[in-house]
Amino acid sequence: MALRAKPAISWLVAIAVMAALPHWLNAYWLHILATSWYYAILAVSWALLAGFAGQFSFAHMAFAAIGGYTSGLLAVDLHLPVPLGILCGVASAALVGAAIGWLCLRLRGPYLSLFTLAFALILQLIIIAEYQFTRGSLGLSVPGLFGGNSDLPYYYAGFVLVLASLAIMGALLRSRVGLFLRALREDEDAAEASAIDTSYYRILVFTITSAFAGLAGGYYGHYVGILSPNIVTIPEMGLVVAMAVVGGIENLPGAAIGAIFVFVASEALRSGGQLRFVALGLVIMLTQRFAQNGLVVLAAARLARATRRRAPSPKTATG
Amino acid sequence: MLLSAESVTKRFGGIRAVDDLTLTVEKGELVGLIGPNGSGKTTLINLMSGALVPDGGHVRIDGISMSGKAPHVFARSGVGRTFQIPRLFRRMSVLENLITPALALKRTYSRVEAEHKAHQVLAFLRLTHVAALEARALSGGQQKLLELGRALMLEPRLLLLDEPFAGVHPKLLDQVAERIEELSRTGYAIVLVDHNLDAVRGLVRRLVVMARGRTIADGAPDEVLRSVDVIEAYTGR
Ligand SMILES: Nc1ncnc2c1ncn2[C@@H]1O[C@H](COP(=O)(O)OP(=O)(O)OP(=O)(O)O)[C@@H](O)[C@H]1O
Ligand SMILES: [Mg+2]
Repeated sequence: MALRAKPAISWLVAIAVMAALPHWLNAYWLHILATSWYYAILAVSWALLAGFAGQFSFAHMAFAAIGGYTSGLLAVDLHLPVPLGILCGVASAALVGAAIGWLCLRLRGPYLSLFTLAFALILQLIIIAEYQFTRGSLGLSVPGLFGGNSDLPYYYAGFVLVLASLAIMGALLRSRVGLFLRALREDEDAAEASAIDTSYYRILVFTITSAFAGLAGGYYGHYVGILSPNIVTIPEMGLVVAMAVVGGIENLPGAAIGAIFVFVASEALRSGGQLRFVALGLVIMLTQRFAQNGLVVLAAARLARATRRRAPSPKTATG
Repeated sequence: MLLSAESVTKRFGGIRAVDDLTLTVEKGELVGLIGPNGSGKTTLINLMSGALVPDGGHVRIDGISMSGKAPHVFARSGVGRTFQIPRLFRRMSVLENLITPALALKRTYSRVEAEHKAHQVLAFLRLTHVAALEARALSGGQQKLLELGRALMLEPRLLLLDEPFAGVHPKLLDQVAERIEELSRTGYAIVLVDHNLDAVRGLVRRLVVMARGRTIADGAPDEVLRSVDVIEAYTGR
């Protein structure tokens, strides 16, 4: 009973703290956190795709762009209500995600990575080239999700989206589909021999994670009010990969915390100029070398051990 | 007739790994499949389980052509297989390795039911004590057994076992042979690939010998082993 209640309590505490946090934040840090929700959704969905299903795609930012631009263009050109536009963005990202998943069916490992990277670069070029629709590198101004100038509603809306993403993708992983995706990652031929329709699940995981990337893109566009092809750059993709790796690529809440931590840290170190990227690179290398499950997972394990030691129960005293 | 390969051919570049070969497996039959290195045994197993698509000929299950069907369809039609080099879900627990095929096979199966069945298979294979370990932590012989268990979770009618004795400790060898014998007695059809003539001949009632992609002998073990062709294939003339 007590053991089962523990995660629930830590979740409640974390949610309560994040909900109360804006009281102590100035406008700048509120903005930083509200932006970090975008990265959190991306890191969580990429962790599902790469960490659990083993599909190391570099097209994730492209799906964020598809979601963002679809929603933005629908709002600008057709004056569609923003929430409806975001839904359309999610749907189109899912659709293109399914197509990319299908095209990648026969590609494994580095070939899939290269294919998806090429797709992302092509999409970036298209956004730049199709100036009359997308405003190219100048950026597309899109209306906000909420009226007014406050970031507060975005902070809460984004936070709810992060929690919803974690809940939905977490539930998926706990279902039998989670087992099939991990089996797919471990060995596709063995998965097929075990009656798993690997083509179906590969397309499924691309569809679902692309949908969430599209959701992140929609939120981001209508929050910052401007979309540019810079969303799809390699450094942006690298940042999301770094966030997931630092947090824990096989742990969805870990990836979310990693994203928030890395983004906040990189802003806090802004005065350090380019050196902060060197620091980030070092952190990633050290994580890969010494804590492959991610720093957040490592920290959580340490914390659990420390609290157990302080209050030894007869069962764990031997450990 | 449970499964039949009819004039199947598989080419890799210039070589015919399997060459116009016909083989039929009846319900409940235990067939030994032997042949020198590179004679096409593994390729034949891959053809019969859908992992490879034949360049010519057909594979039928219950008389129905499986042309163009993915391996998971073969698995759902009752064909379970192991690999020559074990291919487990290495970073999943032993128990998860077992429940995965059961849950993939039947949407109606609950996790509890699958785990119940997995524990029966673990007991049968004497692996209960490692149920919670990651598969990659098992010894080579235990991995072979777990792979057999994973195939059993499909409740197959036909088991294709590619060298189940390879790399297994002599002490465990008898145990593996015993398990296979027991499965055969309970009605599984089994195709058993092996190099080790002595291990196979005592176990099976039908022995098929392959050389250069073809079957060169097929019949009762003693009869087959006396035939000249077989000795030639093994000694390389
Ligand atoms: N994927 C492949 N690509 C190219 N050639 C292959 C492939 N698989 C098998 N071959 C070739 O086909 C022939 C038959 O190989 P196969 O693995 O079926 O033999 P085998 O009877 O299982 O041998 P062993 O007893 O060594 O396991 C060999 O010449 C091998 O080199
Ligand atoms: Mg072989």
